[in-house]
Amino acid sequence: MAISIAFWLFAAAFGASALGGVLGMASGIFIVPILILLFGVDMHVAVGASLISVIACSCGSAAPFLRSRLTNVRLAIVLETATTLGALTGVFLIGIVSTAFLYALFAAILALSAQQMLARRREKTSGAEWPTRNWATTLDLHSSFPDRVLGREIVYQVGHVPLGLVLMYGAGLISALLGIGSGVLKIPAMDTALRLPIKVSSATSNFMIGVTATASAGAYFVRGDIDADIAGPVALGSVVGALVGARLLTGLPADKLRIFFVIVLVLLAIQMLMMAFGIQLL
Amino acid sequence: MDRADHRDGVIASLLWYGTWIASAVIALGVVVKAIRPDAHGLDLVNTGIVLFILLPVARVMLLLLMFLRARDFVYSAISATVLAIIAAGVVIGLR
Repeated sequence: MAISIAFWLFAAAFGASALGGVLGMASGIFIVPILILLFGVDMHVAVGASLISVIACSCGSAAPFLRSRLTNVRLAIVLETATTLGALTGVFLIGIVSTAFLYALFAAILALSAQQMLARRREKTSGAEWPTRNWATTLDLHSSFPDRVLGREIVYQVGHVPLGLVLMYGAGLISALLGIGSGVLKIPAMDTALRLPIKVSSATSNFMIGVTATASAGAYFVRGDIDADIAGPVALGSVVGALVGARLLTGLPADKLRIFFVIVLVLLAIQMLMMAFGIQLL
Repeated sequence: MDRADHRDGVIASLLWYGTWIASAVIALGVVVKAIRPDAHGLDLVNTGIVLFILLPVARVMLLLLMFLRARDFVYSAISATVLAIIAAGVVIGLR
């Protein structure tokens, strides 16, 4: 493969990752549409490459969250039983479902992301009363984290674990089929079912994404569906973009960027939906 | 520093250094391939990709070991289950 293509793959992944980082969103959702629409890559190869970049970003950004004690590791490993099982189901289904269906599913997830980006997240932890004997208590999941702004330890309870597991299964399934981190599904699951503080939910979701993606990436790799020529530069661009890009771009106006992302997500959703019906404009 | 903080610190180091090593191997492979197309650049890129796939697996293995050492058998079993599911995915892929 020509050097220039490797460079453009790196640059595209870097850009998506850096811009996404400003808004605290994972770039995985942009990698597959970029590869399909701009680079003419086959859907399966695009998903395989995206999975590697999703793992790279999750692992690369985990350390600061862990060190500031925002990641609930016990909760993560409990929920990972469901996300990996979902990913396993996805690996089974990938050979059965049609590419048109995957395009349509991707369009739906893009539309959902656009909607989430418009509606700001709100803390839902307060006011919830949980029974004293529930899964979260039995598994000793309740925890606390230091809030830098308030300068004190915030104690939190973990909510409805069985519902959380069901939603995480779905997130793992979508992740394996579409090659995304499924943050778009994990975050609402954590906000509404588990009622975690936003910072804890973001850190824990990010932490789980690597293991979830690995459960399907392993299968993709042994099947030979991961093209190193594409996956290599994309993973590199994503991880560098996530680590240094967001720092370079802190001056960007977040509100304008948010509107820009919503527009891009809607346009990509429309394009993917049309491709599901066999129409391609680009 | 209590036990959970120590555990999280060890995992943070594993993921941080693991990411850098895997990224460096991929970068080296891409550069080698660009300069010398006849050399084994693509093998290096593939090695880096495998390192990335193994990194979360290593993280769950490390958790399993730490839970076993803490005699926390419920969480040891949960960690082992996650590892088994990931292994099952690879087996399905091989068929």
